Amino acid sequence: MGDPGAFNTYYPTLLRYIGLAIVLCLLIYGTYRGLRALGVKPEAATGFSLITPWIAGRIVLTAFPILLSFYLGFTEYNILWDKPKSLQDPLFHYKYALSLKVMKFDADERVSIAALGKLDAEGPRIARYRELDSFTIGDTNYVIGATDPFFFKAVWLTLRYAVFNVPLGLIAALCVALLLNQSVRGIGYWRTLYYLPAVLPAAATALLWWWLFAPKSGLINWGLGQVGIGPMGWFTDKNLVLPSFIIMSTWGVFGANTVILLAGLKNIPPELYEAAAIDGAGTWSKFRRITIPMLSPALFYNLIMGMIAALQLFTQQAFIPTDREDGWFLNWFIYNEAFNSGRMGYASAVGWLTSILIIAITLLVFRSSTAWVFYESSREGEGA
Amino acid sequence: MSKLRIAILIVLVLAMLPITASTSAQDKVTIRITTWAGVEEAAELQAIIDEVNASQDAIEIVHEPKPSDYYTVLQTALAGNEAADLMWIDYGHLEWAFDGVYLDISDYIAADDRATADPDDYFPGIWDAGLVEGGTWGLPWIAQPLVLFYNKDIFDEMGVEYPNPDWTWDDFRAAAVAVTNEDHYGFTMQQGWPPPFLWVYSFGGELVSDDLTQAPIDSPEVIDAINFYASMIWNEELCPSEETIAEEGFEAMMRAGRVAMFIGGAADDYERSTEGTVGVSMLPKGATGENTTTAWVAYTAINADTEHPDEAYDAMVMLTEGIQNWKPSPRISHATVEHFVASIPYKADTAADIVAALPYMRSEYKVFPHVGDFMWGVWRNDFVYPVVRGEDTAEALAPDVRILLEDILAQNQ
Repeated sequence: MGDPGAFNTYYPTLLRYIGLAIVLCLLIYGTYRGLRALGVKPEAATGFSLITPWIAGRIVLTAFPILLSFYLGFTEYNILWDKPKSLQDPLFHYKYALSLKVMKFDADERVSIAALGKLDAEGPRIARYRELDSFTIGDTNYVIGATDPFFFKAVWLTLRYAVFNVPLGLIAALCVALLLNQSVRGIGYWRTLYYLPAVLPAAATALLWWWLFAPKSGLINWGLGQVGIGPMGWFTDKNLVLPSFIIMSTWGVFGANTVILLAGLKNIPPELYEAAAIDGAGTWSKFRRITIPMLSPALFYNLIMGMIAALQLFTQQAFIPTDREDGWFLNWFIYNEAFNSGRMGYASAVGWLTSILIIAITLLVFRSSTAWVFYESSREGEGA
Repeated sequence: MSKLRIAILIVLVLAMLPITASTSAQDKVTIRITTWAGVEEAAELQAIIDEVNASQDAIEIVHEPKPSDYYTVLQTALAGNEAADLMWIDYGHLEWAFDGVYLDISDYIAADDRATADPDDYFPGIWDAGLVEGGTWGLPWIAQPLVLFYNKDIFDEMGVEYPNPDWTWDDFRAAAVAVTNEDHYGFTMQQGWPPPFLWVYSFGGELVSDDLTQAPIDSPEVIDAINFYASMIWNEELCPSEETIAEEGFEAMMRAGRVAMFIGGAADDYERSTEGTVGVSMLPKGATGENTTTAWVAYTAINADTEHPDEAYDAMVMLTEGIQNWKPSPRISHATVEHFVASIPYKADTAADIVAALPYMRSEYKVFPHVGDFMWGVWRNDFVYPVVRGEDTAEALAPDVRILLEDILAQNQ
């Protein structure tokens, strides 16, 4: 009680924690009694009642925010406000994010913002088309206008990142897993070494690479300098932002992917290789016809998880500032809209668009899996 | 079952014990204040808070520093109704007054005869800038003008005259070029610092009209200012390149004697460790013929949802008085060399030059809803940065960007 003022400050929080513990205890007890009253056996009732805190947490801390964000996407909301305001056009945020228009323009003239016009939608801000990109077909020049070009730029950057990062991460992890699957001295040491990136916090990884990519004192530019390549602005040059993040993240996914693929390699029956060797198969043939098919479930799992993670890149960017014009990934864009621009409603809408994008890509990969993922059980089923 | 009931009862009784203990331990009203103060600054502020707490029996101020990601933390605390009674905010975050975050202290100010709460004792450009949405949302505790710090050793070595208040921006530029060699640069700039609007005002331009309906950024004054800005940044004739700054650190280059001149806030501590080698001058004269400078201003504001508005106001006034004797004060009666040196003793050699700059202070910009979008989202990102990076010209960009800026103003009408 040395500082009563400070104690009073934290006392309500302490009380709330105790209250929460009591409520959870009562919830467990109530669930147990309720299930018993319904005739559920004691063991089952005990099990269900003990997981109720977790279920309650899921509902309150995950399901509720998800549903709330869906609702907020149709409102104007700043987290400083007591409650959201309704929008004259509930779909305004979605229209603002997604509206595109294509317009011809004279190559000798500048495309003015006034010429691109506005989106005909009532909302909390004026939705004016701005130049996103331009292209030429024959002799005709076209400009693509978007009401929120930064959203499309963030989508494009994030998709390119995922398309390059995920396969590269898989290939690199597969190579390492194949090496670690060999019987060499000190294999435990090597496995630990390659798993290390997986246990490093993303923030530490980001800061480590920030140093490695430093323009003058960084190891990478120093190495390039030794072969006569001048210093490169890895995170400042708009053309190098994407490669920088891909290199950094590929290193980060090594560990976890490698362990899963290594486990998959260990599960391949050696008889298959022996039989193939008797039939005269070479190393490449064995790799292509035995290793890859047998490893395809693990590759598929890594592909799905890697794709989802890549489309949600956030932590690294939170530590490595890049330019909004060409260097903002989707989640960073959403974070800035929500907390720096005070547009939680719009951020929620874009968050849902991101979710739809991730779900669509995941489903596409799932659909493709029938063509290349080999499940032993399904093959056995075919045989039967 | 009876055991469970007994256990719950015991927990409840134990939880109640501290209530009786704490109420008997103190009769003061606790007022919490959130600040962005880091470890050293928080320790110095705590000394002021301790003095305030010891000086009266009604209020106990409790400091809750949040040095990391301050405004995100503050926003989430406000959203969760967990925010402190008082909070430090910078000038730009007066914008939250439009969201009902702060308590309007106009009536308190009108009824208060303490000097700290006397609007007439504040530099008009500072006090008036804080009158947003027809209210007064906090007391300014610091107004530090931008001044020109310079490294005397470099000027001596190169045989160039020290900066002085009679310099124009052309004189400044010529001197920066003259003191640049392979060991050091004349000046340094990075994207966003010094703030480009400094030159806009100095060149006689404005970013927004008084009635908040127009954004005359295509005026010759603004165009000239941005072109002047763009002609210096990363130009190795007088400034380090972007890569060099990223490598050596922006401010660190000034501290390391790698830069001869640096525009910084008057409270920056370059004099602390340099033993007389760093001097200060007012900024050069602009097209207006004045040594125009902008001031970084910060306020203590009261949470509109505080349960103790009267005590929070009193705490704010007492604390602000203490802070104004510790930081560069926005008050006219404090604008003396003696007061400045008493507040920041290691600035004894430069205090006179800093105090001389105070009358030329103006606020950084006007505050209105979505001013962040206006200043940073469009004006800086869509206008200044493309010009600075050489992707477009100020003349070509200005008409389009003006439309975007005026869209933001129009949505507030």
